[in-house]
Amino acid sequence: MITFLDTANLLLPLLYLGTAIAYGFVFFAAHPTASRLATPALRGTVLFHLVYLAALAAHHRQFPAATVSQALSIVAFAVAVVYAFVEWHGRERTTGFWMVSLVFFFQLLSSVLTRPNPPDRAIFHDPFFATHVSLALLGYAAFVVGAAYAFLFLQLYRDLKAGRFSTFYGKLPPLEVLERMMIGAIWVGFLTLTGAVATGAFWAERLYHSAWLHDPKILITLATWVLYAVALLLRRLQRWQGRQTALASLAGLGAILFSLVAVNFFFTDFHGFL
Amino acid sequence: MAPQEPPLLLVGTDFRCAPIELRERVSCTGEEAEHALVHLLARPGVSEAFLLSTCNRTEVYLQPQDEDEAYHTALDLIFLDKAPELERPGRLYVKRNGEAAHHLLAVASGLESMVLGEPEILGQVKQQAALAEHVGSTGPVLRRLLRSALTAGARARQETAITSGAVSLGYAVVELARNIFTGLEECQVLLIGAGEIARSVARPIVERGAKELKVANRSQERARQFQEEIPMAQLLPFDERLGAVATADVVIATTSAEEPVLTRKQLKEAMASRRNRPLLVVDLGVPRNVEPSVTRIENVFLHTIDSLDLLIQKNLKRRKEEVPHVEEILDQELQHFRSWIRGLEAEPIVAQMQKQAERIRQHELAEALSRFPPETHADLERLTRSMVRKILHHPSTQLRGRGGHHDLSRLDLVRELFRLDDENQS
Repeated sequence: MITFLDTANLLLPLLYLGTAIAYGFVFFAAHPTASRLATPALRGTVLFHLVYLAALAAHHRQFPAATVSQALSIVAFAVAVVYAFVEWHGRERTTGFWMVSLVFFFQLLSSVLTRPNPPDRAIFHDPFFATHVSLALLGYAAFVVGAAYAFLFLQLYRDLKAGRFSTFYGKLPPLEVLERMMIGAIWVGFLTLTGAVATGAFWAERLYHSAWLHDPKILITLATWVLYAVALLLRRLQRWQGRQTALASLAGLGAILFSLVAVNFFFTDFHGFL
Repeated sequence: MAPQEPPLLLVGTDFRCAPIELRERVSCTGEEAEHALVHLLARPGVSEAFLLSTCNRTEVYLQPQDEDEAYHTALDLIFLDKAPELERPGRLYVKRNGEAAHHLLAVASGLESMVLGEPEILGQVKQQAALAEHVGSTGPVLRRLLRSALTAGARARQETAITSGAVSLGYAVVELARNIFTGLEECQVLLIGAGEIARSVARPIVERGAKELKVANRSQERARQFQEEIPMAQLLPFDERLGAVATADVVIATTSAEEPVLTRKQLKEAMASRRNRPLLVVDLGVPRNVEPSVTRIENVFLHTIDSLDLLIQKNLKRRKEEVPHVEEILDQELQHFRSWIRGLEAEPIVAQMQKQAERIRQHELAEALSRFPPETHADLERLTRSMVRKILHHPSTQLRGRGGHHDLSRLDLVRELFRLDDENQS
């Protein structure tokens, strides 16, 4: 089992890299062979990723989000699944390169940060933990998808504003569609993160009373939540348009990466799992 | 002519060789084309004929029995009788055999069009092929060539980007709108100005199914002329243009007004009332009709003749890059056509082989039948027919070229082996 986990940990970023390259050929060169290979490659890799996560859970007998590495891998998996669904549902493959590149980046971070023996704490076996962490990771995955659409929205917006027609022009869905996808993903992320914050607060209050409020991880997460809440509110009030919301979404992605990686390594012990 | 080249003759003129004044004189309507084809076929030098006549070219493709006579017939009947000036050097082109076949395939793929990759030509070739078929002027060779041309044209459109991207002002506006809005079918378009440019831009927009087209023009008479040409247009008094901006998705200004017809302040107010939904503004006026500073307003996308020209040039460059891929398709289709032509040469030999085998079968059967009971005769007839058919199937297929490798020496060998020349004489 350990050999399989080690091999899969090494293989997954490579498989996602190969898939991202295939989607790159689809986006930049409309290559016919790459067009035939990209989708099956993604589906195969996602399936392999699912097997890896299941094996990880079975081997450690706990929900596979006990370390930063495991959490990043789940985020990568969730983004890949969301994109595979979007592609299947909308028959839209032009955003594949950017989405799968992000998946590769998250999985690469996960593989690099892997630790041989994840901690085994009592809370990791609590069903409440699985709910809280699942909601948080789903929220992060949705924000990552939203940020990818935000990036593409900004590229096309700038092209159309400046009349310069770069590589992005003519290869992406219309601006309105990109904006709708971005806002949809942000709403899903915001609602699930709200659920994660609420369940986490309830659970932490029960276990740690008010001491948990000073944890840097929680403060960064709350700041991220506020950022998205403000963005959605200003949009609702017609004060912000697509461009400002897209910029906020990219800032949110930065906050998520900081929260997932840096805070865990340097500032917190309490929230070491995620 | 090389022994396996398609027997073809093409005489034609196009926008590169002749000015519009001459081209329009030799251009044929459907009825004229029908008449011309009937006359061409009536001449003894012509076996098959196809006439392609569009605003940019008139070409006649012939399968000649006598090439010299066919050439002079086409020259006089289609070209010189109507426009003797075409006799001057360089006004007409003549292509033969494989070169003529390649030309038709290139025409159908849009490679010979004035605007590279222009998609309408494929429909025109299809339409005129149907007319020739109706008249009965196409025989096996031209019918097969036209099939290859239509396949090549369709493949070029599907497998390459030769027709992609807008290459005219109107389609460039459509392309920009499609990059901003979910579908043009949901878009409301406001035209400020109703002149010639407005009409040329409006046509593709209407053709691509815009939901609504409003026209604001100072001269109501000109606006009415516009409406006569494009009936879906709704006319507005010029002063109501700002109110219409609030509901429009695309605004196109084409007036020759000295002062801007849309200022930044006006557009800012309009954007507030339209809840800042994206707005595509296209300024085709000279001098400029829209204040350039409107580009600073959020969600307003201002494009001018310069940015549209940049887009058109980019698309043309992309189409040019596709030419080698289209040429590959043409080579493949031409190869199929040539194989078919080679198969035609084998057809008389295959027929002779089958005739000889049938004669032997009937002779042997006639001698043998008396030795068998009458109730078995039908079975013997069926059995011998089936044997002969199966024995000859593979050699016939190979000779027709379906097996891929054969040449004239192989046909001669078959003639010698089966003594087909003796058979013919007997």
